[in-house]
Amino acid sequence: MSQTTGQVTEQPLFDGNHSFGSITRLISDIPQQETPKWWYIAFGISNLLMGLLIAMLVYLIWEGTGVWGLNNPVGWGWAIVNFVWWVGIGHAGTLISAILFLFRQGWRTAINRFAEAMTIFAVMCAGIFPAVHVGRIWVIYYVFPLPNSMQMWPNFSSPLLWDVFAVGTYFTVSTLFWFVGLVPDLATMRDKVKGKLAKSLYGFFALGWTGGNRSWQNYEKAYMLLAGLATPLVLSVHTIVSFDFAVSVIPGWHTTIFPPYFVAGAIFSGFAMVMTLMLIARKIYGLEDIMNIKVIEKMNIIILVTGWMVGFAYIMEFFIAWYSGVEYEKFAFINRAFGPYAWAYWIMMTCNVITPNFFWFKRFRTSITMSFILSIIVNIGMWFERFVITVTSLAQDFVPAAWGYYSPTWVDILTYVGTFGLFFTFFLLFLRFLPMVAIAEVKMELPQAKVEYYANGNSDKDSANN
Amino acid sequence: MGKEHQSTYWRSLNQLANNDEYKKFVEREFPENATELTDGLSRRNFLTIMGASVALAGLTACRKPVVKILPHSRQPEFMVPGIPMHYATVMPFKDYVSGLLVTNNEGRPTKIEGNDLHPESDGATNSFHQAALLDLYDRDRSRYVRRNGEKSDWNAFLEFASDHFSNRTQRLLFISEANSSPTYQSLKSKALSAFANAEWVTYEPFSDENVLTGVSRAFGQKLRPVNHFDKAKVVVSLDADFMSQEDNNVQNVKRYAKSRKLNGTDSDMSRLYVVEANYSLTGSNADHRLQLKPSKVAPFLYALAAELSASVSGLNAFSGYRNEFSQHSWVAALAEDLRTNAGKSILTAGSDYSPEVHAAVAAINKALGNDGETIEYLELPHADSENQTEKFANAVRGMQNGDYDTVVMVGTNPAYTAYADLNFNSALSNVATTIHLSTHVDETSQNATWHINRAHFLEAWGDGFSYEGSLSAIQPMIAPLFDGKSEIEFLNAIIEGEDVSGHELVRNFWLSQPGGSDAQWQTALHDGLVKGTRFSSRSVSIVPGFAPFIQEALSTPVQTTDDIELIIKPDPKLYDGRFANNPWLQELPDPISKITWDNVALMSANTAQKLGLADARRFGQFEHQTVSITAGNHTFEIVAWVLPGHADDTITVYAGYGRTKAGRVVNSYEGRVGNISQETVGVDVFKARTTVNPLFTENVSVSSTGNTYEVATTQDHHSMEGRPFILEASLAEFKENPNFAPQIAGVYSGQLDETEESWYTTGAAPINLHNTRTFPEREPQWGMTIDLNSCIGCGVCSIACQAENNIPVVGKREVRRGREMHWIRTDRYFSGDDANPTVAHQPVPCMHCEQAPCEQVCPVAATTHSDDGLNQMTYNRCIGTRYCANNCPFKVRRFNFFNYPKEFLTTGEDTEVIQMAMNPDVTIRFRGVMEKCTYCVQRISRAKINTRNKTGNSVKPPDGAVKTACQQACPADAIEFGDLTDENSRVSVAKRDSRNYFLLEYLNIRPRTSYLAKVRNPNPNIA
Repeated sequence: MSQTTGQVTEQPLFDGNHSFGSITRLISDIPQQETPKWWYIAFGISNLLMGLLIAMLVYLIWEGTGVWGLNNPVGWGWAIVNFVWWVGIGHAGTLISAILFLFRQGWRTAINRFAEAMTIFAVMCAGIFPAVHVGRIWVIYYVFPLPNSMQMWPNFSSPLLWDVFAVGTYFTVSTLFWFVGLVPDLATMRDKVKGKLAKSLYGFFALGWTGGNRSWQNYEKAYMLLAGLATPLVLSVHTIVSFDFAVSVIPGWHTTIFPPYFVAGAIFSGFAMVMTLMLIARKIYGLEDIMNIKVIEKMNIIILVTGWMVGFAYIMEFFIAWYSGVEYEKFAFINRAFGPYAWAYWIMMTCNVITPNFFWFKRFRTSITMSFILSIIVNIGMWFERFVITVTSLAQDFVPAAWGYYSPTWVDILTYVGTFGLFFTFFLLFLRFLPMVAIAEVKMELPQAKVEYYANGNSDKDSANN
Repeated sequence: MGKEHQSTYWRSLNQLANNDEYKKFVEREFPENATELTDGLSRRNFLTIMGASVALAGLTACRKPVVKILPHSRQPEFMVPGIPMHYATVMPFKDYVSGLLVTNNEGRPTKIEGNDLHPESDGATNSFHQAALLDLYDRDRSRYVRRNGEKSDWNAFLEFASDHFSNRTQRLLFISEANSSPTYQSLKSKALSAFANAEWVTYEPFSDENVLTGVSRAFGQKLRPVNHFDKAKVVVSLDADFMSQEDNNVQNVKRYAKSRKLNGTDSDMSRLYVVEANYSLTGSNADHRLQLKPSKVAPFLYALAAELSASVSGLNAFSGYRNEFSQHSWVAALAEDLRTNAGKSILTAGSDYSPEVHAAVAAINKALGNDGETIEYLELPHADSENQTEKFANAVRGMQNGDYDTVVMVGTNPAYTAYADLNFNSALSNVATTIHLSTHVDETSQNATWHINRAHFLEAWGDGFSYEGSLSAIQPMIAPLFDGKSEIEFLNAIIEGEDVSGHELVRNFWLSQPGGSDAQWQTALHDGLVKGTRFSSRSVSIVPGFAPFIQEALSTPVQTTDDIELIIKPDPKLYDGRFANNPWLQELPDPISKITWDNVALMSANTAQKLGLADARRFGQFEHQTVSITAGNHTFEIVAWVLPGHADDTITVYAGYGRTKAGRVVNSYEGRVGNISQETVGVDVFKARTTVNPLFTENVSVSSTGNTYEVATTQDHHSMEGRPFILEASLAEFKENPNFAPQIAGVYSGQLDETEESWYTTGAAPINLHNTRTFPEREPQWGMTIDLNSCIGCGVCSIACQAENNIPVVGKREVRRGREMHWIRTDRYFSGDDANPTVAHQPVPCMHCEQAPCEQVCPVAATTHSDDGLNQMTYNRCIGTRYCANNCPFKVRRFNFFNYPKEFLTTGEDTEVIQMAMNPDVTIRFRGVMEKCTYCVQRISRAKINTRNKTGNSVKPPDGAVKTACQQACPADAIEFGDLTDENSRVSVAKRDSRNYFLLEYLNIRPRTSYLAKVRNPNPNIA
């Protein structure tokens, strides 16, 4: 900070004193290098797991929903837990790319591409569950408002139907947004790669990007518009997912706090997942300069904040249950904490409310190891949150004689494990073939991209090379 | 059901039987396939036969279908395809029959109801009656005669019989199940006179021999005591489960429920005391229940008699007697209550108790003046003078010693049920020729020289007396599916060596009787009984022999030990194992323990603790510890099950399980029983039952094994958690505040403060976002009430519903996973003290909420509301999200997690047999589809159509025209169903009852099914 000029200079966001050119090289070289051995191994494992998922789904559809551990009171089990969990994970991507974009948070550029890709793959994983959990998947098209001779429309008052539209829209907009953001970088790749096929493929998807003023203008406008479109979706998707529960009459589900609580939880888990993946990727691909400790710290702060929002919701649920005076509500919540599923509840509380408090301390916030461990714990905790909500409320609702204990079968478990195969298969393909950091956007956050930089007499060191 | 459905009973068979073509047809059996058409019988001829007589209407379609289906060339009278016909018949069970009305669809019986012309069933049924239908279609029934296990046929047996039984002096033993049939009894005397050295034993593992013997000790004559519970003010049951395990339970429940019916606060109700060890169904309905080991019941009774002898004349034999119970608070209280209600009380004891107990019971009832008032003593024409239990034991010992050349067993399954110390199997092998008539190749048949396949009562001719002596006819609903022979045809073949049809035997016997005429026979077939017939009632008096007899019993010292006593009782579902191969019954939850597909060792928590068994069952625990029980020479391993309220130091086990040769349901059910470790369903406990004391076994050693076993129950939680599901009050409280139930329900919901009335009684609907009308403006509007004061919790509604609505059986594994499919379940809650809890039962079907939470959440609108207020399921539209089931507050929706109907109806061989049991009016649901109670919409529709046909425009059937299956079957008349827009309909009247309340009123879902609160009648003198 220079007192003499009277100007406050921000610390550069990214380390390594990169120039435009070095950023381009750093990122665009990754897809061009020879495929590393670990990638094949990881891809192989992911493929095996994806095969497992397919096998489980075939078995499920062949035999019937009964291969899962569901029973009479508990009609939704791991499938819906997994669905909500994966959708929640997806949330971070949209939040980072859309909301943080509108709030002009430059650090988001370090992770937004990455997080958006994660969003899309997570939503793909999530989308499997509502589709396959139905008893008769071969008539699932009944949920779409398709004109038919019986004039039979879906039931527009059902939250499940809202879900179909919400998740469908979300997936479409996320994918579009991600793709639009990719266009300048695809052009960069098109210009860099040597292979003919690669060149034409990148070229095709670069949509004739010239890098000219027109391109940039259109791009920025489109990006801004999509960011505006995606922003309400961040809130709406999980709100509507929460409606699946909140609109019902079941104690423990029927809760008005659910929409904000679910959104906060989604961001919480999404950031944790981005953190987990990012910490591995930055190490492997040497992206520590971009995905640096400052970005990590900012993400940890968000995890801490959303963690407390979630924790507040947990406590508030108890308060409202007591305050409402409804015996069934009171029972539902006390039973969560001290009933047969107390173990799940306390895993959730520990993982989601207690452990994020480490991030109050800068030492832990800026510790890579701590961030990695806590991000995984948060993801476990958030899975259990959904389990607690879904299963404990159903297993012991109104009529005590109809209560029934739920436990998953091996099919439930392997299906969930299998979705990681699907997720990582796509994610590894993404890492391998696409620029995993938004090159153009990162460059916009470099000091060189600011006018002040040149006012101080600096010049773009690298301009000759670029 | 009858009248609206153009009920046409089978009245013209006599004519038909004289029709030569018909005779030929029956003799030949029905063509197995159309190949017969080519040899000699032209298609035209065949069609002529097909159309020839009404008999074919009843019989053609009922056989295993011929390969080619041919239409009737002429429509037989009455027969309209798609319109079911109803025929009266009776079901024989032990030595009495129950009147039934069987629904036939295109010649196949599909549903059994009670015959309301029959005084004993009065339109109601029990689980055995309902499930008999599935026994008819049991594919495991024996299909041919076997000689030494090899396939043979009836003609070969006839040949053998005419040869073998031409020796009329051979030492011959008949072992027969109890049978009230006069035709059968006449054949019996014929046999005894034809064979010079013949002996006849009537053997039932659970018989009323001791009752008859006891009564004869008191009154000098074997008489059947019939309890008129409806006339009683006080009922004391000493371990007599008259609602379930004792004989004539349908009528018992009918009468008992009548004595408990409340009509406003002025009405009075009876009081029931039960003294027992096991928590029986009857005990669960008691106002006061005392836990007593079975060995203590007799001393208790004597102490009561002694107490009564001070104030009631006629009990001098007991005066001055004292024992450990003389100071018991119950003895004084019971004595007083009985005395005050002398002539209006009933004392009854379990039929397995000793003759001394029954003699004492008879004497007390006589002394109280109950005879002729609440208890009738009827003469039994088929009663034997000897005690058949003893006679059976002697006969088997004789078999062991080689005293018999030939043993003929008619029905019954002694190889499985006989007392262990008799070693029946080895005795059987000491007889040169053994012949067994049986529906299955069972434990006895497999060791018999000849096995004759027996016809089911729904496919055979016969007759019998009801419990109180209504002479009734059994007429077949269908030609024998597996060519079985009835017991009278069998017996006749043995005596005469020739084949005479059951129809001829019965009819000829009836015509030969005084007053017998063709008209009487036809009316009997039509009505199911000869009206006005009844066993003659005897007035009784104590015989001089009673005093010395009872003195001897009193002077026998009573040993008091803390040893464990093992009680063996017939199962509430399988009875003595005769219904073991019936999957409906196997899957029906036990009324108290709610266990399916298994028997367990029921014991108290204290006893379990003494045996070192783990603490109380956890919610979600399916593996349970087993114990090893050694009684005499027999040791068996069985699951220990803590039943709150069971007496300490006793263990109850139900017989009827562990059958090794019952059929595939028990021995290798092809459905999803799956992972049970043993080869049979449940454990055979008959092997622990001896002639020494059939009621209970002493000197039992029990030890924990450390093993565990999976048990499938339909209810995992047993407390109501203080929630207002079953509301109850004492009679005094009810009279004080008749509106207690809707008030509690409203106050609990937070809708009312304690002074307000329910919105339903005031008519002011609560604030409502949707529409404020209580009912749509359309008639009719259907509704239901369930009177918890009448409901005894037997579970017959579940089976009746299962039969009516084609509900599949899912097997043990699926029940264990909580996937049973019953549309109406009976919830059972324990309340009060852990060691001595009270029980309440609550049947829960779909409530048909006017603002149904399930309808709101279905994404594809597969569950919607009909104009007449039904919550409907459209199976074709359902995609199976299960959201509706999640959002159902009552959890009454059932999901087809697998293709249950397919497994139930198309697995294994001869699947078309079991498919014949299905109701054609109800869709079979595919896998992945939600289902639930429909209020029997098919019955509603039929009634609407009939009404429309009659009136031309109205679709509002008269009150009572629609009866749901559960309502119709219920022996307690707990369920009312009908049109709520009809002010005078029975259901509307019930809804205006002050005890009417709704479940979960605060949700504002407005259920169409409501409950009438339970009222108990405790004795203020017993704390």
